[in-house]
Amino acid sequence: MIIYVRSGRETLSWSFPSLLGLGRQIHQSSSLIEEQLDPFSLVSDELSLVANRLRAMVIAEVPKLASAAEYFFRLGVEGKRFRPTVLLLMATALNVHIPEPVGGGVGDTVATELRTRQQSIAEITEMIHVASLLHDDVLDDADTRRGIGSLNAVMGNKLAVLAGDFLLSRACVALAALKNTEVVSLVATVVENLVMGETMQMTTSSEQRCSMDYYIQKTYYKTASLISNSCKAIALLAGRTAEVAMLAFEYGKNLGLAFQLIDDVLDFTGTSASLGKGSLSDIQQGIVTAPILFAMEEFPQLHAIVYQGFDNPENIEIALEYLGKSHGIQRTRELAMKHANLAAAAIDSLPESNDENVIRSRRALVDLTQRVITRNK
Amino acid sequence: MERVDPFSLVANELSLIATRLRSMVAAEVPNLASAAEYFFKIGAEGKRFRPTVLLLMATALDVHIPELSPPGIGDTLPTDLRTRQQRIAEITEMIHVASLLHDDVLDDADTRRGVGSLNAVMGNKLAVLAGDFLLSRACLTLASLKNTEVVTLIATVIENLVTGETMQLTTASNKRFSMEYYMQKTYNKTASLISNSCKSVALLAGHTAEIAMLAFEYGKNLGLAFQLIDDVLDFTGTSASLGKGSLSDIRHGIITAPILFAMEEYPQLRAVVDKGFDNPANVDIALEYLGKSRGIERTKELAMKHANLAAAAIDSLPQSDDEDVIKSRQALIDLTQRVITRNK
Repeated sequence: MIIYVRSGRETLSWSFPSLLGLGRQIHQSSSLIEEQLDPFSLVSDELSLVANRLRAMVIAEVPKLASAAEYFFRLGVEGKRFRPTVLLLMATALNVHIPEPVGGGVGDTVATELRTRQQSIAEITEMIHVASLLHDDVLDDADTRRGIGSLNAVMGNKLAVLAGDFLLSRACVALAALKNTEVVSLVATVVENLVMGETMQMTTSSEQRCSMDYYIQKTYYKTASLISNSCKAIALLAGRTAEVAMLAFEYGKNLGLAFQLIDDVLDFTGTSASLGKGSLSDIQQGIVTAPILFAMEEFPQLHAIVYQGFDNPENIEIALEYLGKSHGIQRTRELAMKHANLAAAAIDSLPESNDENVIRSRRALVDLTQRVITRNK
Repeated sequence: MERVDPFSLVANELSLIATRLRSMVAAEVPNLASAAEYFFKIGAEGKRFRPTVLLLMATALDVHIPELSPPGIGDTLPTDLRTRQQRIAEITEMIHVASLLHDDVLDDADTRRGVGSLNAVMGNKLAVLAGDFLLSRACLTLASLKNTEVVTLIATVIENLVTGETMQLTTASNKRFSMEYYMQKTYNKTASLISNSCKSVALLAGHTAEIAMLAFEYGKNLGLAFQLIDDVLDFTGTSASLGKGSLSDIRHGIITAPILFAMEEYPQLRAVVDKGFDNPANVDIALEYLGKSRGIERTKELAMKHANLAAAAIDSLPQSDDEDVIKSRQALIDLTQRVITRNK
């Protein structure tokens, strides 16, 4: 059972991560009635707006990319539009509310403009995310020479490169339109980090594959950097202080890390709590994730297996056995929870606000940190 | 006014830029580092054409090369104007190389600049990632200039490069028979980078919109002239005769200005082009028509027209008595001639 006290309100939450899956939360509050709000519903209208604008931005004038465009939106739909949700909630949580449709004077126009700019960050983020997925999918010559290279595969390669470039160029133009060079730097850093993360994953030496530090760094680059830097960009656009911007960054970073760690667990456990029911795609691709790294600490014999690699399915079986005997899964969940709590703490450290919308959004962001670690898929 | 070699006027600065570029593309991830610096290694740098133009433009617009600082003083923030303009040259090169890396993947190219293409040597995916990495480094450098207008110009370049490449890959449509479409594609793929970076050099110096536009026009027309002659050389090579060039455009099914002009005189050529050029016999037929036509001459004429427009833009700049300014402007004009008289 875990109790943590946050700014006058007590939250009880207990979960039995490795055995029962879902956790339950009871909120008590002395001031406001806290219903359990679905974070996604808070921003669903805006999400539709963002999705429509994205669609318009990428389909225009480019017939050859129409088929690739469908791929964009399959990818974009995954994870329930997780990233844009976080960003839109963050925008509100930092005290810029969704302007009333029937607005008064200048103040509301300014607020609307700012909100639109922040929505643009969500769009830019999605374009970069999808662009990186497309480029990550590019095959190497070696793969095509092994007979996988049908004309389709080759066209797929070129289309993947071109479509990714297309999205990146659209993101650049949208970015330039914000006329904020600090935000340009943040987003450029994201692209750089995504590339570094993918390269790290492609080119790991046997030694690096066994290092938790290397793994966390790679995970930051591949998953957390995008959310952390775009959260920070949201804060910067709103003219918030460096401290607030840093809190936004820390939320995004820790949320992203927690998300990936649970992803790693689910790849082993799937929707059940038992091992080996997940897709096992990581280990089959020779990607060594946190559960295995933890297991290797308890069972050094596992090192040898990892060194050998996992082309041989028997090695996968052996690794799973060790994993089952170890605390690998539990320790990964614990680490995920640590990061989830850090994310929640960042939100709690934001300057106080009495605005109802702000409070609701902050609670939704905290709620997300829990959803990320209790989810089954 | 003696004819000064344009490249020698800026040779020292070019070395400085080359050195900085090499350090800018260094990465903490080893494979990425070797990929990114592949074309910045000494010997693989290309003709440094673009940086030369930009540095000459900077001087031509009255911004002088400062005295070289004494050794031992570290590289401080690029606050002085000339350094910022040099950054444009670096950004431009990074974007150019990034686009080459991706184009080679799209073209399945084996060689580039006389060495193995990166995708042939290290694989498609690493070439793509390296291109992305260079692009992000270019954007970081761009942001450090803290000039949102310049950011917009360069973002436009990036978009134009992709559009140009997409236009080139859209082979099925009738548009590839259109000279207008071809010129637009050529602008996107080749001229946009030079035109917009020339304009950026002017904007950084705080020049008026008119001067910025003249810089833009110089870059644009120089770029177009360059590409048109490139098209000719692909047919003629270093000789004046047809068919001695590499013929790589036509073999890739890319229809360039000479063929487009020839098609105006010989409509039958269109049917040949429609069939495509996988069959080498078709290439020979096309070359025959091209030889009979005025396609090559008309392309050279068009190139000269653009070269002259570029020179005119320089001549329209506000008068200056400064020797360096005059020399640089002369060099820029000289370049317009070199671009159209070159043999390779």
